[in-house]
Amino acid sequence: MKKNLFAAMILTLFVLVVSCKKDATVAVVPAVSATQTISVPFSSATNFRFFSFKDSTLVTSADSTTTKWDFAVRFTKFLVNSNASGPGNAGVIMQDGIFSDIKSAPTSGYSYDTTATRLAIKDGSWYDYNAVTRTLTPKAGKVFIFRTADGLRYAKMQLLSVDYAPFVGMTPTTLLYKFQYTYQPNGSTSFQ
Amino acid sequence: MFQRVIIGFLLFTTCRGYAQSQKFADTLFGSSEPLVVTSTRVAGKLSNVAVPVTLVSAKQIQQTGLLRLQDVLQEQTGLAVVNAPLASSLNGYPNPFGQGIQMMGLDPAYTLILLDGEPLVGRNAGIVNLGRLAIGNIQQLEIVKGPSSCLYGSEAMAGVINIITQKPLGNRLDVQAYGASRNTTSATLSFSHQQRSTGIQAFLHQYSSGGYDLDPTTFGKTVDPYQITNANFKWVQDVSAKSQLTFSFRLNQQNQQNRYQIQSQATPEIVSGKSTEQDATAFFQWRYHLPGAAKLYIRSFINTYENSAYVNLEKTGARFDELNFKQQLIKQEAQLQIPKVLFGQMVAGAGFMVDAVTATRYQGNPSLNTWYAFAQQEWKIPAYHVTVIAGARIDERQDFRAKLSPRLAIAWKPDDHWKIAASIGGGFKAPDFRHLYLNYNNPQIGYSLLGAQTLPQELLRLQQAGLLQNGAQIAPYLTPASLLPEYGMGIHGSAAYRSAGWQASLGLFYNEIHQLIDFYSLPFSRSNGLPVYSYHNVGRIYTRGLEADVQIAISPRLKCSVGYQYLEAKDKDVIAAIDAQKIYRRDPQTFVTELVKQQDYQGLPNRSKHTAQVKIGYEQTAAGFYANLRAIYRSPYGWMDINGNQIMDDPKEMTSGFTLLNFTTAKSITKNTSIQLGIENILNYTQSVQQPQLPGRTFFVSLQCSLSNTNNKK
Repeated sequence: MKKNLFAAMILTLFVLVVSCKKDATVAVVPAVSATQTISVPFSSATNFRFFSFKDSTLVTSADSTTTKWDFAVRFTKFLVNSNASGPGNAGVIMQDGIFSDIKSAPTSGYSYDTTATRLAIKDGSWYDYNAVTRTLTPKAGKVFIFRTADGLRYAKMQLLSVDYAPFVGMTPTTLLYKFQYTYQPNGSTSFQ
Repeated sequence: MFQRVIIGFLLFTTCRGYAQSQKFADTLFGSSEPLVVTSTRVAGKLSNVAVPVTLVSAKQIQQTGLLRLQDVLQEQTGLAVVNAPLASSLNGYPNPFGQGIQMMGLDPAYTLILLDGEPLVGRNAGIVNLGRLAIGNIQQLEIVKGPSSCLYGSEAMAGVINIITQKPLGNRLDVQAYGASRNTTSATLSFSHQQRSTGIQAFLHQYSSGGYDLDPTTFGKTVDPYQITNANFKWVQDVSAKSQLTFSFRLNQQNQQNRYQIQSQATPEIVSGKSTEQDATAFFQWRYHLPGAAKLYIRSFINTYENSAYVNLEKTGARFDELNFKQQLIKQEAQLQIPKVLFGQMVAGAGFMVDAVTATRYQGNPSLNTWYAFAQQEWKIPAYHVTVIAGARIDERQDFRAKLSPRLAIAWKPDDHWKIAASIGGGFKAPDFRHLYLNYNNPQIGYSLLGAQTLPQELLRLQQAGLLQNGAQIAPYLTPASLLPEYGMGIHGSAAYRSAGWQASLGLFYNEIHQLIDFYSLPFSRSNGLPVYSYHNVGRIYTRGLEADVQIAISPRLKCSVGYQYLEAKDKDVIAAIDAQKIYRRDPQTFVTELVKQQDYQGLPNRSKHTAQVKIGYEQTAAGFYANLRAIYRSPYGWMDINGNQIMDDPKEMTSGFTLLNFTTAKSITKNTSIQLGIENILNYTQSVQQPQLPGRTFFVSLQCSLSNTNNKK
């Protein structure tokens, strides 16, 4: 009886393990890919806009002191949620390449916002400004590989365009950042 | 030295009239062929010169009816009128830079513009404003392609355009009155008097334009109303049979009434004001005949160039912006020309230049001193029908080591029909005042642009004033970085064939420039978040291409010519980066990113692969009638990056090409008077951003009266 119980337990465990294993293979969530457009103030004097890969949305400014966001942007300045910019462990690697060809994230080599003036993403490093048309064009082939604010997950992101929202008068008010990203929620470095 | 240059005949012209009455100073060849001087600094028969040179005669210019030099130049093979890249960024602001000439795909900054052999001073953003030159007293234009630093030093890397004005010649009075669309008027008075050993030439020119607006959606005109006044006076005095003095004075003044919209504290406001450009020159030359037909020239040249502008806010009358720029050049030179030495002809010289600037946007009163010496030997080997020219010039300026610019040219004329020529030369371009001393903090946008010499102390000042971002690491920039001269080389080869009634030529060229001076942004910003820029040596480019000219006399009265240039102008670093698979592009519609392939790379912006000029002219000399139709074509050129890599690699980044069509006709009314009518830009092509200098279709009428009394001639 005892033996049977034991056997049953083993069996159950086995079934559990097997099913778990089976579940695990089924449950490997493929990396999430999306394209988003966010509104960012055309001003260096307002609040940043804080973006979360996990929630695939902007979070409120009230959350700026939490690890709920991964990167933030204002005008043309980017922050990553680390050291000087936030409590998170986010980091970024700027890598030249074709977005879809980057199949996995490195596990080391990430840059942080060391101080307020030594940011991981240097302003001006990711765009070209055309003084004739007054347009900001993200440099082609620049892929941002992020480690997220929890320090455990990875995402890759590339900017597709930065446009002005329609405006009246001479000064634009809002920049529309359009970007695509792939977020791996399960903690692996794979972007597949 | 240009004393008796014979007026040329290239196209619609045959040597006749007063041109024929000239004597030949250099009678070595004794033919009526035109003489050119720029290519070797010694008058030589055009067809004998081993260096590529194009000549445009006074008659050719006159028969186009054009009054602006840039319009005349863009009708020549391989020359394009271009705007400074900066000028297009002004978005409706008046363009203070004017237009320059792109030669063999090289920017205007690389072509030296000479007036009677002396440089035109006052380049804005590298461009000499050609608008300040009147056309009415030009005797001939000489265009030398290929590095000419061996004779002329810095700025002559692409070539030289020498504008040669009339010499005192007989007693002559020419008057011209001109009127054209858009309130354009012009009046010219030219007077020449020669008696025994004294010759005087005076020239007055007034030009006025009402300006024009090519883009009604922006406030203000594309080109604001402006007036140009030119006065020249030349006095040639033969002191003895051996000695001759020349004094020449030139004054040019341009005024423009500006009115445009600015953004002052987020609200648009109208400003108005005035800009003035003034250019004054005094020139003295003593020519002395030495034994053995050698000639010695002593020359002094002083030029003062001043550019000032201000605008006031119309509402309050308060001064919004003003600028002042003053440049002075003093040049002293001696040149010796020996016709028979070392089995050939030699020309050698040495000189000293002091170039000084005082300007609101420059720190202190910087001045640059240059010593130079040059020598050139020309050998003619009749047995093999070969001419060889070898020469070099050395320039030393206080801020860089002596630069040597050599050149070698060979021409082979096996018979009367063929001429095969090849030349190779090296040249350099010295950093200019703006690269070294500019100290400019943009009041409207807020960035800083600092010359390499100005950078350290200005960074310190900005940091102390709290105008740099916190923690900016300026230490690496506190030792003045020396800017090196750009240097390069050019090769040119050509074959020409002439026969009765037609002639044709084909040329190939290759130029390369290293160590280009360009601006860069420092790794920290101003406290307002905007960049600080300075200059450094970076990059290397090449241009190569082909040029072809065909001229045919269909009948004695009907003549036709075609000029064509094929051009490739590319950045060598970009080519290397494409090879290394480092340049990407992102389609602005589909957002698909891919690597740029070598065949997609179109080369440097603002260069047309194809340019062509076609001219047809009819002339009935006896009736005093002529008519001509000229077409100028420029193929599409790179304009603006749209796919995120700052290079031209997509057809969408090119502007469309364009064709300009011009027509001129004239008829003599009496023996001394004639009337000229014409239409410029018949197709009415306009482009307010890329080609703001083209005002659209223009009708003009001009009346000319010439009185001459040639009996008094020497």
